[in-house]
Amino acid sequence: MDKKLKLLIIDDNHEMLAALYNFFSKKNYDVVTTPDSLHALKLIEAEKQEFDLVITDLVMPNISGVGIISIIKKKNPGTPVIAITGWGEHPEALATEAKADLVLEKPFRLPELDKLINDLLSPKKH
Amino acid sequence: MPSSFIGISESIVKIRELIEHVADTGLNVVITGESGVGKEVVAQNLYHKSHRKNKPFIKVNCAALPEGLLESELYGFEQGAFTGAQRKKRGKFELANKGVLFLDEIGDMSLALQSKLLHVLQSGEFFPLGSEKEVKTDAWVLASTNQDLEQNVKKGLFREDLYYRLNIIQIYIPPLRNRPEDIPLLIDYYIEKYVSKFHRKKLNKPSSETLGRLISYHWPGNVREIQNIIKRCLIVGNWEEVIDEIFANKKPVDNTTKAIPALDEASIIDDFIDFKGENSPNHASFSLKKVKKKVLDRIEKEVISHVLGQTGWNRTKAAKILKISYKTLLYKISDLNIEPPHYSR
Repeated sequence: MDKKLKLLIIDDNHEMLAALYNFFSKKNYDVVTTPDSLHALKLIEAEKQEFDLVITDLVMPNISGVGIISIIKKKNPGTPVIAITGWGEHPEALATEAKADLVLEKPFRLPELDKLINDLLSPKKH
Repeated sequence: MPSSFIGISESIVKIRELIEHVADTGLNVVITGESGVGKEVVAQNLYHKSHRKNKPFIKVNCAALPEGLLESELYGFEQGAFTGAQRKKRGKFELANKGVLFLDEIGDMSLALQSKLLHVLQSGEFFPLGSEKEVKTDAWVLASTNQDLEQNVKKGLFREDLYYRLNIIQIYIPPLRNRPEDIPLLIDYYIEKYVSKFHRKKLNKPSSETLGRLISYHWPGNVREIQNIIKRCLIVGNWEEVIDEIFANKKPVDNTTKAIPALDEASIIDDFIDFKGENSPNHASFSLKKVKKKVLDRIEKEVISHVLGQTGWNRTKAAKILKISYKTLLYKISDLNIEPPHYSR
Protein backbone atom coordinates (compact mmCIF):
# COMPACT_ATOMS: atom_id res chain seq x y z
CA MET A 1 0.00 0.00 0.00
CA ASP A 2 1.20 3.52 -0.85
CA LYS A 3 2.47 5.75 1.94
CA LYS A 4 -0.10 8.41 2.85
CA LEU A 5 0.73 11.89 1.60
CA LYS A 6 1.18 14.41 4.39
CA LEU A 7 -0.64 17.77 4.44
CA LEU A 8 -0.02 20.69 6.77
CA ILE A 9 -3.02 23.02 7.12
CA ILE A 10 -2.67 26.41 8.88
CA ASP A 11 -5.67 28.65 9.61
CA ASP A 12 -6.47 30.70 12.70
CA ASN A 13 -10.18 30.02 12.12
CA HIS A 14 -10.87 26.86 14.13
CA GLU A 15 -14.08 25.97 12.27
CA MET A 16 -12.32 26.16 8.93
CA LEU A 17 -9.46 24.09 10.29
CA ALA A 18 -11.83 21.39 11.63
CA ALA A 19 -13.73 21.22 8.32
CA LEU A 20 -10.51 20.83 6.33
CA TYR A 21 -9.18 18.22 8.77
CA ASN A 22 -12.37 16.12 8.60
CA PHE A 23 -12.58 16.28 4.83
CA PHE A 24 -8.95 15.46 4.00
CA SER A 25 -8.50 12.81 6.71
CA LYS A 26 -11.31 10.85 5.02
CA LYS A 27 -9.56 11.31 1.67
CA ASN A 28 -6.70 9.20 2.96
CA TYR A 29 -4.23 12.01 3.64
CA ASP A 30 -2.10 12.22 6.75
CA VAL A 31 -3.37 15.65 7.97
CA VAL A 32 -1.60 17.91 10.48
CA THR A 33 -3.45 21.12 11.42
CA THR A 34 -2.58 24.13 13.53
CA PRO A 35 -4.25 27.50 14.16
CA ASP A 36 -0.93 29.00 15.28
CA SER A 37 1.50 30.19 12.61
CA LEU A 38 4.52 30.07 14.96
CA HIS A 39 3.70 26.43 15.75
CA ALA A 40 3.39 25.82 12.00
CA LEU A 41 6.83 27.33 11.45
CA LYS A 42 8.31 25.01 14.09
CA LEU A 43 6.72 22.02 12.34
CA ILE A 44 8.15 23.17 9.00
CA GLU A 45 11.60 23.70 10.53
CA ALA A 46 11.65 20.30 12.29
CA GLU A 47 14.20 18.10 10.54
CA LYS A 48 12.02 15.01 10.37
CA GLN A 49 8.84 16.78 9.27
CA GLU A 50 8.48 16.66 5.54
CA PHE A 51 5.12 17.82 4.25
CA ASP A 52 4.02 16.91 0.75
CA LEU A 53 1.82 19.99 0.56
CA VAL A 54 0.96 22.98 2.73
CA ILE A 55 -2.34 24.89 2.82
CA THR A 56 -2.21 28.23 4.61
CA ASP A 57 -4.55 31.07 5.40
CA LEU A 58 -2.99 34.44 4.58
CA VAL A 59 -4.09 36.90 7.26
CA MET A 60 -3.06 35.53 10.67
CA PRO A 61 -1.46 36.99 13.80
CA ASN A 62 2.33 36.78 14.36
CA ILE A 63 3.49 35.23 11.09
CA SER A 64 1.23 35.92 8.13
CA GLY A 65 0.56 33.29 5.47
CA VAL A 66 2.78 35.29 3.12
CA GLY A 67 5.58 34.90 5.68
CA ILE A 68 4.94 31.15 5.93
CA ILE A 69 4.99 30.78 2.13
CA SER A 70 8.26 32.76 1.84
CA ILE A 71 9.93 30.62 4.51
CA ILE A 72 8.76 27.31 2.97
CA LYS A 73 9.81 28.32 -0.53
CA LYS A 74 13.26 29.28 0.76
CA LYS A 75 13.71 26.03 2.70
CA ASN A 76 11.98 23.54 0.39
CA PRO A 77 11.20 25.24 -2.94
CA GLY A 78 9.66 22.00 -4.22
CA THR A 79 6.92 21.82 -1.57
CA PRO A 80 3.64 22.98 -3.11
CA VAL A 81 1.75 25.62 -1.16
CA ILE A 82 -1.88 26.65 -1.56
CA ALA A 83 -2.92 30.00 -0.07
CA ILE A 84 -6.55 30.43 0.97
CA THR A 85 -7.85 33.89 1.70
CA GLY A 86 -10.89 36.03 2.08
CA TRP A 87 -9.05 39.32 2.41
CA GLY A 88 -9.02 40.66 -1.12
CA GLU A 89 -6.43 41.59 -3.68
CA HIS A 90 -3.44 42.76 -1.64
CA PRO A 91 -2.73 39.59 0.36
CA GLU A 92 -3.40 37.56 -2.80
CA ALA A 93 -0.85 39.55 -4.81
CA LEU A 94 1.73 39.17 -2.03
CA ALA A 95 1.10 35.39 -1.86
CA THR A 96 1.70 35.10 -5.60
CA GLU A 97 4.85 37.22 -5.27
CA ALA A 98 6.03 34.84 -2.50
CA LYS A 99 5.59 32.02 -5.06
CA ALA A 100 2.48 30.30 -3.71
CA ASP A 101 1.55 27.60 -6.21
CA LEU A 102 -2.13 28.50 -6.00
CA VAL A 103 -4.20 31.23 -4.40
CA LEU A 104 -7.78 30.25 -3.64
CA GLU A 105 -10.41 32.73 -2.54
CA LYS A 106 -12.79 31.89 0.29
CA PRO A 107 -15.48 30.65 0.13
CA PHE A 108 -14.58 27.60 -1.95
CA ARG A 109 -15.95 24.07 -2.22
CA LEU A 110 -13.90 21.34 -0.57
CA PRO A 111 -14.03 19.01 -3.62
CA GLU A 112 -12.61 21.90 -5.66
CA LEU A 113 -9.66 22.21 -3.26
CA ASP A 114 -9.27 18.42 -3.32
CA LYS A 115 -8.97 18.46 -7.09
CA LEU A 116 -6.36 21.25 -6.99
CA ILE A 117 -4.33 19.29 -4.41
CA ASN A 118 -4.56 16.21 -6.59
CA ASP A 119 -3.27 18.12 -9.59
CA LEU A 120 -0.35 19.58 -7.62
CA LEU A 121 0.56 16.23 -6.09
CA SER A 122 -0.01 14.05 -9.16
CA PRO A 123 3.74 13.72 -9.97
CA LYS A 124 4.24 12.31 -6.44
CA LYS A 125 1.38 9.84 -6.81
CA HIS A 126 2.56 8.34 -10.06
CA MET B 1 24.26 43.74 23.06
CA PRO B 2 20.67 45.01 23.16
CA SER B 3 18.67 45.23 26.37
CA SER B 4 17.17 41.88 27.28
CA PHE B 5 13.49 41.48 26.61
CA ILE B 6 12.46 40.72 30.18
CA GLY B 7 9.36 38.81 31.25
CA ILE B 8 7.84 35.46 32.15
CA SER B 9 4.30 36.15 30.97
CA GLU B 10 2.99 33.94 28.19
CA SER B 11 2.98 36.79 25.68
CA ILE B 12 6.59 37.79 26.35
CA VAL B 13 7.82 34.18 26.23
CA LYS B 14 6.06 33.80 22.88
CA ILE B 15 7.59 37.03 21.53
CA ARG B 16 11.09 35.83 22.48
CA GLU B 17 10.37 32.57 20.67
CA LEU B 18 9.04 34.43 17.64
CA ILE B 19 12.19 36.59 17.52
CA GLU B 20 14.36 33.44 17.49
CA HIS B 21 12.42 31.96 14.60
CA VAL B 22 12.00 34.98 12.33
CA ALA B 23 15.20 36.99 12.90
CA ASP B 24 16.97 35.41 9.97
CA THR B 25 14.13 35.48 7.47
CA GLY B 26 14.61 39.11 6.39
CA LEU B 27 10.80 39.45 6.17
CA ASN B 28 9.24 42.83 6.98
CA VAL B 29 8.14 43.18 10.59
CA VAL B 30 5.69 45.51 12.31
CA ILE B 31 6.05 45.84 16.07
CA THR B 32 3.02 47.30 17.83
CA GLY B 33 2.06 48.16 21.37
CA GLU B 34 1.56 51.16 23.63
CA SER B 35 4.35 53.65 24.21
CA GLY B 36 7.07 52.43 26.50
CA VAL B 37 6.40 48.68 26.12
CA GLY B 38 9.78 48.05 24.47
CA LYS B 39 9.17 48.06 20.72
CA GLU B 40 12.70 49.24 20.01
CA VAL B 41 14.09 46.54 22.32
CA VAL B 42 12.31 43.94 20.18
CA ALA B 43 13.72 45.54 17.01
CA GLN B 44 17.24 45.50 18.50
CA ASN B 45 16.83 41.85 19.54
CA LEU B 46 15.69 40.89 16.03
CA TYR B 47 18.74 42.67 14.60
CA HIS B 48 21.19 41.05 16.99
CA LYS B 49 19.81 37.56 16.34
CA SER B 50 20.04 38.03 12.57
CA HIS B 51 23.03 37.63 10.26
CA ARG B 52 22.88 41.42 9.77
CA LYS B 53 24.11 42.10 13.31
CA ASN B 54 27.49 43.44 12.22
CA LYS B 55 25.93 45.80 9.69
CA PRO B 56 24.29 49.16 10.49
CA PHE B 57 21.11 49.53 12.55
CA ILE B 58 19.59 52.84 11.53
CA LYS B 59 16.61 54.30 13.37
CA VAL B 60 14.33 56.96 11.94
CA ASN B 61 11.52 58.49 13.98
CA CYS B 62 8.80 59.21 11.42
CA ALA B 63 6.87 61.41 13.88
CA ALA B 64 9.72 63.76 14.75
CA LEU B 65 10.23 65.27 11.32
CA PRO B 66 7.94 67.12 8.92
CA GLU B 67 7.26 65.40 5.58
CA GLY B 68 9.93 67.11 3.46
CA LEU B 69 12.67 66.61 6.00
CA LEU B 70 11.69 62.98 6.59
CA GLU B 71 11.82 62.35 2.85
CA SER B 72 15.33 63.75 2.57
CA GLU B 73 16.39 61.82 5.70
CA LEU B 74 15.13 58.53 4.25
CA TYR B 75 16.21 58.89 0.64
CA GLY B 76 18.98 61.51 0.71
CA PHE B 77 19.53 64.23 -1.85
CA GLU B 78 21.90 65.44 -4.52
CA GLN B 79 23.81 68.70 -4.26
CA GLY B 80 21.50 71.51 -5.42
CA ALA B 81 18.34 69.36 -5.19
CA PHE B 82 16.66 72.22 -3.30
CA THR B 83 17.59 75.56 -1.76
CA GLY B 84 20.09 74.87 0.99
CA ALA B 85 21.19 71.47 -0.35
CA GLN B 86 24.81 72.54 -0.54
CA ARG B 87 26.22 69.05 -0.63
CA LYS B 88 25.04 65.56 -1.43
CA LYS B 89 23.59 63.63 1.50
CA ARG B 90 23.06 59.89 1.63
CA GLY B 91 19.67 58.76 2.90
CA LYS B 92 19.00 56.31 5.72
CA PHE B 93 17.84 53.65 3.22
CA GLU B 94 21.29 53.77 1.66
CA LEU B 95 23.10 53.88 5.02
CA ALA B 96 21.09 50.87 6.24
CA ASN B 97 22.05 48.79 3.18
CA LYS B 98 22.68 45.14 4.27
CA GLY B 99 21.61 46.15 7.77
CA VAL B 100 18.38 47.23 9.42
CA LEU B 101 16.22 50.31 8.91
CA PHE B 102 13.99 50.77 11.96
CA LEU B 103 11.06 53.03 11.10
CA ASP B 104 9.70 54.16 14.44
CA GLU B 105 6.20 55.66 14.59
CA ILE B 106 5.36 54.50 11.04
CA GLY B 107 1.69 55.39 11.70
CA ASP B 108 2.65 59.08 11.53
CA MET B 109 4.06 58.88 8.00
CA SER B 110 2.16 60.95 5.42
CA LEU B 111 0.32 59.19 2.58
CA ALA B 112 2.74 60.64 0.02
CA LEU B 113 5.75 59.16 1.82
CA GLN B 114 3.90 55.89 2.38
CA SER B 115 3.56 55.57 -1.36
CA LYS B 116 7.31 56.17 -1.84
CA LEU B 117 8.08 53.63 0.90
CA LEU B 118 5.82 51.07 -0.81
CA HIS B 119 7.81 51.52 -4.01
CA VAL B 120 11.12 50.87 -2.22
CA LEU B 121 9.72 47.78 -0.49
CA GLN B 122 8.46 46.43 -3.80
CA SER B 123 11.50 47.17 -5.92
CA GLY B 124 14.40 47.60 -3.48
CA GLU B 125 15.24 50.81 -5.35
CA PHE B 126 14.68 54.53 -4.87
CA PHE B 127 15.64 57.92 -6.29
CA PRO B 128 17.42 60.32 -3.92
CA LEU B 129 15.87 63.83 -4.20
CA GLY B 130 17.13 65.59 -7.28
CA SER B 131 18.82 62.46 -8.64
CA GLU B 132 18.10 60.68 -11.89
CA LYS B 133 19.98 57.60 -10.85
CA GLU B 134 18.17 54.90 -8.91
CA VAL B 135 19.91 53.54 -5.82
CA LYS B 136 19.52 49.89 -4.78
CA THR B 137 19.03 49.02 -1.13
CA ASP B 138 18.92 45.76 0.77
CA ALA B 139 17.79 47.19 4.11
CA TRP B 140 15.70 44.96 6.36
CA VAL B 141 12.72 47.11 7.29
CA LEU B 142 11.39 46.85 10.83
CA ALA B 143 8.57 49.26 11.60
CA SER B 144 6.85 50.13 14.84
CA THR B 145 3.83 52.08 15.94
CA ASN B 146 1.57 52.65 18.92
CA GLN B 147 -1.34 53.28 16.58
CA ASP B 148 -3.89 50.78 15.31
CA LEU B 149 -2.78 50.56 11.68
CA GLU B 150 -5.80 48.46 10.71
CA GLN B 151 -8.08 51.27 11.91
CA ASN B 152 -5.88 53.81 10.12
CA VAL B 153 -6.36 51.80 6.90
CA LYS B 154 -10.15 51.93 7.39
CA LYS B 155 -9.99 55.70 7.99
CA GLY B 156 -7.91 56.19 4.85
CA LEU B 157 -4.86 57.34 6.82
CA PHE B 158 -2.68 54.37 5.97
CA ARG B 159 -2.30 52.64 2.60
CA GLU B 160 -3.83 49.18 2.59
CA ASP B 161 -1.23 47.76 0.19
CA LEU B 162 1.61 49.07 2.41
CA TYR B 163 -0.13 47.69 5.50
CA TYR B 164 -0.13 44.16 4.09
CA ARG B 165 3.39 44.44 2.70
CA LEU B 166 4.80 45.53 6.07
CA ASN B 167 2.72 43.14 8.16
CA ILE B 168 4.42 39.93 7.03
CA ILE B 169 5.45 39.39 10.64
CA GLN B 170 3.52 41.18 13.39
CA ILE B 171 4.74 41.39 16.94
CA TYR B 172 2.28 42.86 19.44
CA ILE B 173 3.65 43.69 22.88
CA PRO B 174 0.82 43.88 25.45
CA PRO B 175 0.79 46.74 27.99
CA LEU B 176 2.38 46.04 31.35
CA ARG B 177 -0.96 46.24 33.22
CA ASN B 178 -2.07 43.10 31.33
CA ARG B 179 0.99 41.12 32.44
CA PRO B 180 1.60 42.02 36.10
CA GLU B 181 3.71 38.89 36.58
CA ASP B 182 6.49 40.63 34.62
CA ILE B 183 6.64 43.66 36.97
CA PRO B 184 8.84 42.16 39.76
CA LEU B 185 11.34 40.83 37.20
CA LEU B 186 11.55 44.17 35.43
CA ILE B 187 12.06 45.98 38.74
CA ASP B 188 14.88 43.62 39.74
CA TYR B 189 16.49 43.89 36.32
CA TYR B 190 16.50 47.69 36.23
CA ILE B 191 17.64 48.06 39.87
CA GLU B 192 20.65 45.92 39.06
CA LYS B 193 21.28 47.71 35.78
CA TYR B 194 21.08 51.26 37.16
CA VAL B 195 22.85 50.52 40.45
CA SER B 196 25.84 49.23 38.50
CA LYS B 197 25.63 52.18 36.09
CA PHE B 198 25.43 54.84 38.81
CA HIS B 199 27.81 52.97 41.06
CA ARG B 200 27.83 55.50 43.84
CA LYS B 201 24.09 55.10 44.40
CA LYS B 202 22.36 52.41 46.42
CA LEU B 203 18.78 51.20 46.30
CA ASN B 204 17.33 48.27 48.21
CA LYS B 205 14.78 46.03 46.59
CA PRO B 206 11.22 47.15 47.38
CA SER B 207 9.58 45.58 50.45
CA SER B 208 6.79 43.09 49.76
CA GLU B 209 4.21 45.76 50.65
CA THR B 210 5.80 48.25 48.23
CA LEU B 211 6.07 45.57 45.56
CA GLY B 212 2.35 44.84 46.01
CA ARG B 213 1.57 48.51 45.37
CA LEU B 214 3.83 48.53 42.31
CA ILE B 215 2.12 45.43 40.91
CA SER B 216 -1.32 46.97 41.42
CA TYR B 217 -0.33 50.24 39.69
CA HIS B 218 -1.68 50.59 36.13
CA TRP B 219 1.65 51.65 34.53
CA PRO B 220 0.38 53.96 31.77
CA GLY B 221 3.98 54.58 30.70
CA ASN B 222 4.76 50.83 30.69
CA VAL B 223 8.39 49.62 30.99
CA ARG B 224 9.78 53.09 30.29
CA GLU B 225 7.90 54.29 33.38
CA ILE B 226 9.47 51.52 35.49
CA GLN B 227 12.90 52.68 34.27
CA ASN B 228 12.13 56.30 35.15
CA ILE B 229 10.71 55.43 38.55
CA ILE B 230 13.79 53.39 39.46
CA LYS B 231 16.09 56.20 38.32
CA ARG B 232 14.13 58.59 40.54
CA CYS B 233 14.19 56.18 43.46
CA LEU B 234 17.99 56.05 43.07
CA ILE B 235 18.15 59.83 43.29
CA VAL B 236 15.67 60.13 46.17
CA GLY B 237 17.16 57.10 47.93
CA ASN B 238 13.90 55.32 48.82
CA TRP B 239 10.78 53.89 47.19
CA GLU B 240 8.01 55.24 49.36
CA GLU B 241 8.29 58.93 48.47
CA VAL B 242 8.30 58.24 44.73
CA ILE B 243 5.47 55.71 44.90
CA ASP B 244 3.25 58.00 46.99
CA GLU B 245 3.80 60.61 44.32
CA ILE B 246 2.87 58.35 41.39
CA PHE B 247 -0.29 57.17 43.14
CA ALA B 248 -1.18 60.78 43.92
CA ASN B 249 -0.56 61.92 40.32
CA LYS B 250 -1.73 58.81 38.47
CA LYS B 251 0.30 60.10 35.58
CA PRO B 252 3.27 58.37 34.03
CA VAL B 253 6.61 59.55 35.30
CA ASP B 254 8.05 61.54 32.46
CA ASN B 255 11.79 61.45 32.31
CA THR B 256 12.13 64.53 30.15
CA THR B 257 11.06 67.06 32.75
CA LYS B 258 12.54 65.33 35.78
CA ALA B 259 15.97 64.45 34.54
CA ILE B 260 17.79 67.70 35.26
CA PRO B 261 17.95 67.13 39.05
CA ALA B 262 19.85 63.92 38.21
CA LEU B 263 22.73 66.07 37.10
CA ASP B 264 24.36 66.04 40.49
CA GLU B 265 28.10 65.57 40.70
CA ALA B 266 28.03 61.79 41.05
CA SER B 267 25.82 61.14 38.08
CA ILE B 268 27.69 63.64 35.92
CA ILE B 269 30.84 61.68 36.53
CA ASP B 270 29.02 58.39 35.98
CA ASP B 271 27.32 59.55 32.81
CA PHE B 272 30.00 61.56 31.15
CA ILE B 273 33.32 60.20 32.30
CA ASP B 274 32.72 56.58 33.34
CA PHE B 275 36.12 55.70 34.72
CA LYS B 276 36.17 52.29 33.04
CA GLY B 277 34.95 52.71 29.45
CA GLU B 278 36.28 54.58 26.46
CA ASN B 279 35.25 57.90 28.03
CA SER B 280 37.81 57.37 30.75
CA PRO B 281 40.60 59.96 31.06
CA ASN B 282 43.00 57.03 30.66
CA HIS B 283 41.55 56.18 27.26
CA ALA B 284 43.34 57.52 24.20
CA SER B 285 40.17 59.08 22.74
CA PHE B 286 39.40 61.08 25.94
CA SER B 287 39.33 64.84 25.61
CA LEU B 288 37.79 67.69 27.56
CA LYS B 289 36.21 68.92 24.33
CA LYS B 290 34.36 65.61 23.87
CA VAL B 291 33.10 65.61 27.46
CA LYS B 292 31.98 69.23 27.05
CA LYS B 293 30.04 68.35 23.89
CA LYS B 294 28.33 65.42 25.63
CA VAL B 295 27.32 67.59 28.60
CA LEU B 296 26.05 70.39 26.35
CA ASP B 297 24.09 67.93 24.21
CA ARG B 298 22.46 66.51 27.31
CA ILE B 299 21.53 69.94 28.68
CA GLU B 300 20.28 71.07 25.27
CA LYS B 301 18.18 67.93 24.98
CA GLU B 302 16.61 68.49 28.40
CA VAL B 303 15.88 72.17 27.78
CA ILE B 304 14.41 71.59 24.31
CA SER B 305 12.31 68.66 25.60
CA HIS B 306 11.05 70.83 28.44
CA VAL B 307 10.06 73.71 26.15
CA LEU B 308 8.45 71.32 23.65
CA GLY B 309 6.53 69.79 26.56
CA GLN B 310 5.32 73.26 27.59
CA THR B 311 4.17 74.15 24.08
CA GLY B 312 2.48 70.77 23.57
CA TRP B 313 5.08 69.99 20.89
CA ASN B 314 4.18 73.09 18.90
CA ARG B 315 7.57 73.45 17.25
CA THR B 316 6.98 76.96 15.90
CA LYS B 317 6.21 78.27 19.41
CA ALA B 318 9.10 76.28 20.89
CA ALA B 319 11.56 77.72 18.35
CA LYS B 320 10.42 81.26 19.26
CA ILE B 321 10.86 80.64 23.00
CA LEU B 322 14.28 79.07 22.45
CA LYS B 323 15.22 81.88 20.06
CA ILE B 324 16.48 79.50 17.41
CA SER B 325 15.22 79.01 13.87
CA TYR B 326 12.49 76.46 13.16
CA LYS B 327 14.95 74.55 10.95
CA THR B 328 17.57 74.42 13.71
CA LEU B 329 14.96 73.14 16.15
CA LEU B 330 13.96 70.34 13.75
CA TYR B 331 17.62 69.46 13.27
CA LYS B 332 18.19 69.34 17.02
CA ILE B 333 15.07 67.19 17.60
CA SER B 334 16.46 64.70 15.11
CA ASP B 335 20.13 64.97 16.11
CA LEU B 336 19.51 64.72 19.86
CA ASN B 337 16.85 62.05 19.33
CA ILE B 338 14.16 63.97 21.24
CA GLU B 339 10.91 62.05 21.28
CA PRO B 340 7.37 63.25 21.96
CA PRO B 341 5.90 62.28 25.37
CA HIS B 342 4.14 59.14 24.19
CA TYR B 343 1.62 58.81 26.99
CA SER B 344 -0.32 61.84 25.86
CA ARG B 345 -0.96 60.39 22.40
